[in-house]
Amino acid sequence: MSDLNQSHSGIPLDPFYTAEEGDGNAPGVFPYTRGKRLPRPGQSWILRELSGEGTATRSNEQFKSLMAKGQQGLDIIGDTPTMHMLDPDHPHAIHAVGTQGVSLCCRTDFEDLYRDLPLDELSFSQSLPSVPGIAGLYLVAKERGMPSEILRGSAIQLALYEDDCSYSRHLPLKLRMRMATDSVAFAAEKMPKFHALMEDTYFFSETGLDSVEEMALGFVELRYYIRALLAKGIDIDAFAPRIGILLTCRMDLFEEIAKIRATRRIYARMMKDEFGAKDPRSMALTVTAHTSGLTMTAQQPVNNVARGGMQAVAMAMAGVQAMEISTFDEAYRTPSEDAHMVGLRTQQIVQLETNVTKVADPLGGSWYVEELTDKMDQRICAELARIEAKGDIGELSEQGFFRQIFNNAMERLSRDLEDGTVQRVGVNSHSIPNEEDHMLKEASEKKTEPFRGQITHIQNFRKNRDQDKCKQALGGLYDAVRDENRNMMEPYVAALEADATIGETAGVLRQAYGQKYDPLGNLPSPLGI
Amino acid sequence: MTTHTPPIKVLVTILGLDQHEVGALAIAATLRDAGMEVVYGGRFNLPPAVVNMALQEDVDVIGISAHSWEYLHFLDDIFEGLKEAEIDVPLIIGGSVVTDGDKADILAKGVAAAFGPTDTPDGIVREIRRVVEDYRARIE
Repeated sequence: MSDLNQSHSGIPLDPFYTAEEGDGNAPGVFPYTRGKRLPRPGQSWILRELSGEGTATRSNEQFKSLMAKGQQGLDIIGDTPTMHMLDPDHPHAIHAVGTQGVSLCCRTDFEDLYRDLPLDELSFSQSLPSVPGIAGLYLVAKERGMPSEILRGSAIQLALYEDDCSYSRHLPLKLRMRMATDSVAFAAEKMPKFHALMEDTYFFSETGLDSVEEMALGFVELRYYIRALLAKGIDIDAFAPRIGILLTCRMDLFEEIAKIRATRRIYARMMKDEFGAKDPRSMALTVTAHTSGLTMTAQQPVNNVARGGMQAVAMAMAGVQAMEISTFDEAYRTPSEDAHMVGLRTQQIVQLETNVTKVADPLGGSWYVEELTDKMDQRICAELARIEAKGDIGELSEQGFFRQIFNNAMERLSRDLEDGTVQRVGVNSHSIPNEEDHMLKEASEKKTEPFRGQITHIQNFRKNRDQDKCKQALGGLYDAVRDENRNMMEPYVAALEADATIGETAGVLRQAYGQKYDPLGNLPSPLGI
Repeated sequence: MTTHTPPIKVLVTILGLDQHEVGALAIAATLRDAGMEVVYGGRFNLPPAVVNMALQEDVDVIGISAHSWEYLHFLDDIFEGLKEAEIDVPLIIGGSVVTDGDKADILAKGVAAAFGPTDTPDGIVREIRRVVEDYRARIE
């Protein structure tokens, strides 16, 4: 990318534009509506694509191939068993191993995943269960003799809504919150550059929420975490500089841009006025985006390339810190190698050819966008206040209040698509007969067979470990988790180090909270309790 | 249809670790609106549980909602289980990941009907009625 700040015709460009004197309305200045910081010449968002497939070794090769094509950070997604914290040989897991993400279940998997990757240079974003994800990265750095302080990246926290939309791990809410707050507190101390509190509004928005609902529910959850961390006696400025929001981008591009501008402003106000943050970094929100999979269609999959491109331009103009874009095969699967290439190249075209990165917040000052930003701000705050006025957030969750919101959104979207309220090209307008729908169809529908080798891998791994040492470490984890005043992360790392599997650790966590070891069957606990 | 015809009773369920419930809930609502009785089996079921629910609830049709490819690998076990239980209730599959190629494959395996992302609710309801009419005629 050229460092010269000029248009294609040679018109000199300022880093940002404003009608006001001084920098009162500049990006990088409270309340950060116009951006987290003033961009430095040549600086852009982190380009990445959601990746991870099959074994850790295979995924490691996939990462290296993506980096060779210009990817700058990794976003690692676990396969379904990993997301459920079940081992690959669990009877429920055997047909899902490695098909929709990487299979991670023990120490050696993490070593293989990060093999040869420069831990001090890359940013490792994890769409993984946060406790094992953070522990695994921390352990690999420790084994390499590298200080954990160098680690960068992020971990999504899904505690409040995971059971209501698609990531059920059969863990009670209190335990999920404990896992979130313990992992954030641990990272704040040991991995200060790592964004361990990534509020993921993307995954629950895929139920069909609108932008106002998305951000209101995102703030409900984020504030629930922040209050829980403060209640543990942790200073707001100790963890807030590493808070981020991973949000979605639908097809109403101006609304999505206004949503992000309003979100930065709401966050800044909230951190300063309500939570008493003093460090400006605690008020300047990191925003990353994953473009909406829900806007992608199974019909005429090539159209999704156009959708992804437009969403990428919008996110670049909104000033996000990182993005990954869904492309043509999104309706069927996590991205294939071809889809990765399209996603990455789309981002590179936006970055290098369109000049949209030259000026920060290029839409700032537009009557339309400013008005829309104000309206989004008001509506998000009103919806947030409405929900919080209903009572204790944990109780609301347990009563199914949030699940109902998500279910309603699903029904609303399918109704809107059916009656044409929402227009979708190729679905309810400009559709073509199936037999004429060829372009990129075969590539979109390509399947990945389950990686059943992982089943014998984990069975052998368990057989060959030091059983006493492993049992003792799992016992240590159990004891630590039963004591509310302790942080579970060090004992968790110790359990991984002693070759406990993720499935075993999850079972022991459940037992420490009075639940069944195996929520879906009758596997025995290695602790014999 | 005479007034004596009992409503169609359909089991709607999800297999393995397939975590997405959107489609299952949506189709359950559609089938209820169409006058069918829906037994909702929820998520995280293995073939023996599906067969057992079908048996206990005496359903006219088993509907598997699929948002991951796991269903393809569970089909043989379900057919095996139905055979052991000596019931030949029709099995249908529907979901966002079911492609036209998959439809041909699973119909050849003995699935009674299959629906993908381009199938409409009306079409699905019509097809289920046809499948159940055939089944009822067969067992009478």
